[in-house]
Amino acid sequence: MKTRAGKLACLLACGVAAIASSALAADIEAGKKKVTEVCQACHGMDGNSQIPDNPKLAGQHTDYLAKALRDYKSGARKNPIMAGFAGTLTPQDIENLAAYYNAQPAVLQSRM
Amino acid sequence: MRGGLPNPITNELMTRIEKTAAIAGAAICAAAFLVSGAFAQGAAPAGNPEQGAQKVAMCQGCHGIPGWRTAYPEVYQVPKIAGQHPTYIVKALQEYKNGDRLHPSMRAIAASLSDADMANLAAYYAQVGLRVSP
Repeated sequence: MKTRAGKLACLLACGVAAIASSALAADIEAGKKKVTEVCQACHGMDGNSQIPDNPKLAGQHTDYLAKALRDYKSGARKNPIMAGFAGTLTPQDIENLAAYYNAQPAVLQSRM
Repeated sequence: MRGGLPNPITNELMTRIEKTAAIAGAAICAAAFLVSGAFAQGAAPAGNPEQGAQKVAMCQGCHGIPGWRTAYPEVYQVPKIAGQHPTYIVKALQEYKNGDRLHPSMRAIAASLSDADMANLAAYYAQVGLRVSP
């Protein structure tokens, strides 16, 4: 009995861990789909925006991109255009989009 | 008297007023054109990268170190800005200065910058990006 209970507990723990990690793990392909629908008109499919007002995102840090989207969504960062787009995104969409743009060939650099 | 303005003095006065109004109108239009040209969307701010380099000491402690993370209020990697559009960099700095963006360190730094400083820094970072790009 003890071992069965132990196995069951282990299975449950594994299941919970799998669900938790799948909720956090970014899906770059899903991000790409969302970029096609929402972001690319202004930021470019590869994230190297041709419009001077709109930042280049290719290669930008994932955590910074995700934070920017969360801040637009919450209103902490005020931009009427981005508030409209970010408002439609789920936390999972945000992780996916950030991972997608981070994975694009970068023009941006951390340089003095 | 009231309807036709037959008095030659009044007529002359009206002509002068019309001419003055026309000149003023043209001046306002010209000024509006210049202003809209200067602040038009997409117009790159005319910054001086050499002067930007004089001010960059306050930026590079965070933006010059690959992978550097913020410590407060949230931990994330500070954005890469070398190679960014100068127009966007100026916009970001203005948003920190006017409170549309809230990061405490960036708010303090941006508050100390004039419009010219912002344009110069933006020109510097845009140029640095071009120099190091493959």
